Amino acid sequence: MSTAHTDAHGGEHNPHLAHHFDTMEQQAGAAKLGMWLFLATEILMFSGLFLAYFVIRMFYPEMVLGAHEHLNKFAGGLNTVVLLVSSWTMAMAVRSAQVGKPNNQADIAKIKAFLAMTFACGGIFMVVKYFEYSAKFAHGMLPGKFYTAHLHGYDIPGLPHIFFGIYFVMTGLHGVHVLVGMALMVWIYLRAVRGDFSRQNYAGVENLGLYWHIVDLVWIFLFPLLYLVK
Amino acid sequence: MSTVYLNGKLVEHPHEVHHHVSPVPQYVAVLGALLVLTGVTFLVSFADLGAASLTVAMFVAVIKASLVVGYFMHLKYDDRFHLFIFLGTIIFVGLFFGFTLFDLASRDAINDEQRTFTRIEEDTNKGQPMKIGIDNDLARRAAYDAKHPAEAPEGH
Repeated sequence: MSTAHTDAHGGEHNPHLAHHFDTMEQQAGAAKLGMWLFLATEILMFSGLFLAYFVIRMFYPEMVLGAHEHLNKFAGGLNTVVLLVSSWTMAMAVRSAQVGKPNNQADIAKIKAFLAMTFACGGIFMVVKYFEYSAKFAHGMLPGKFYTAHLHGYDIPGLPHIFFGIYFVMTGLHGVHVLVGMALMVWIYLRAVRGDFSRQNYAGVENLGLYWHIVDLVWIFLFPLLYLVK
Repeated sequence: MSTVYLNGKLVEHPHEVHHHVSPVPQYVAVLGALLVLTGVTFLVSFADLGAASLTVAMFVAVIKASLVVGYFMHLKYDDRFHLFIFLGTIIFVGLFFGFTLFDLASRDAINDEQRTFTRIEEDTNKGQPMKIGIDNDLARRAAYDAKHPAEAPEGH
């Protein structure tokens, strides 16, 4: 990779092009196809939890109605806004890479700035989540046999111990996805610092963006179903 | 047009991405729409819509999801095959939801009609909302029941 050379078919060789691909477009197409297939499995995994929610809601409507009032609507709403803004900054990071000139420090700085903003939004989301979870722990609003809210003065009708099971599994798995996304963002940020990304090569930023948006997408459904719906 | 080879032979229509860069104002407009729709869902949740509230909330969520997928994830401009994968997934989610919920919703009627099972009612709450959360810790539950005799279910 150190010497500039032409590929086997006479074109100018991009240093980011792996030898088993013919063109950058083909390489990016393969990467993106793989990412979309992974996202399909992510959607199917979360759909199992959403189905569990709907089944429990169908059999025990009073359980969802009684227990969801104890979730903090404003914390959930704040987190929704934070995630939506982070989706925008992520989309802007991808765009900055798409239009960035190779080895142009100003363009690299833009990619880095938008990635840092997205990372910060992920951090705010997790901090709000931490305060929400702490409040639930403190009030004994926990899944299954750990449920002790009635000993803390909360008489929640229905089957709140099952509701909080669904709540913690759904928001917990989603929170893990946010943390994984933040870890990937550090990696992509370091690659951006190294100058990997420009309009000639942005598949890495773009795939991180696709992952981040699917995490946002899950929250778009989680928020109204868990926090708002009556 | 770049050239792609497979096993030494030229590929006529290679599977490649084409670059599409969305303008910044479009991204800003999409973010604005998403925030407004979030506000709508939030405000609607305070109005008592009864059974319609789930439909309204899901309708707004689907619009928001379409905006994210179409513009932020570029599916509107992207290779149609990625849209095919995404919609294919949604179809399978629909099958998963549809058959499971149909089965669970109709099972009681079929069991009653065919007398497959005799339901035991003693251990259920007979359709009544329960007063407190069920505590699996028997000692703790007994202590609670002793403190609140009015709420204690019979037989514990």
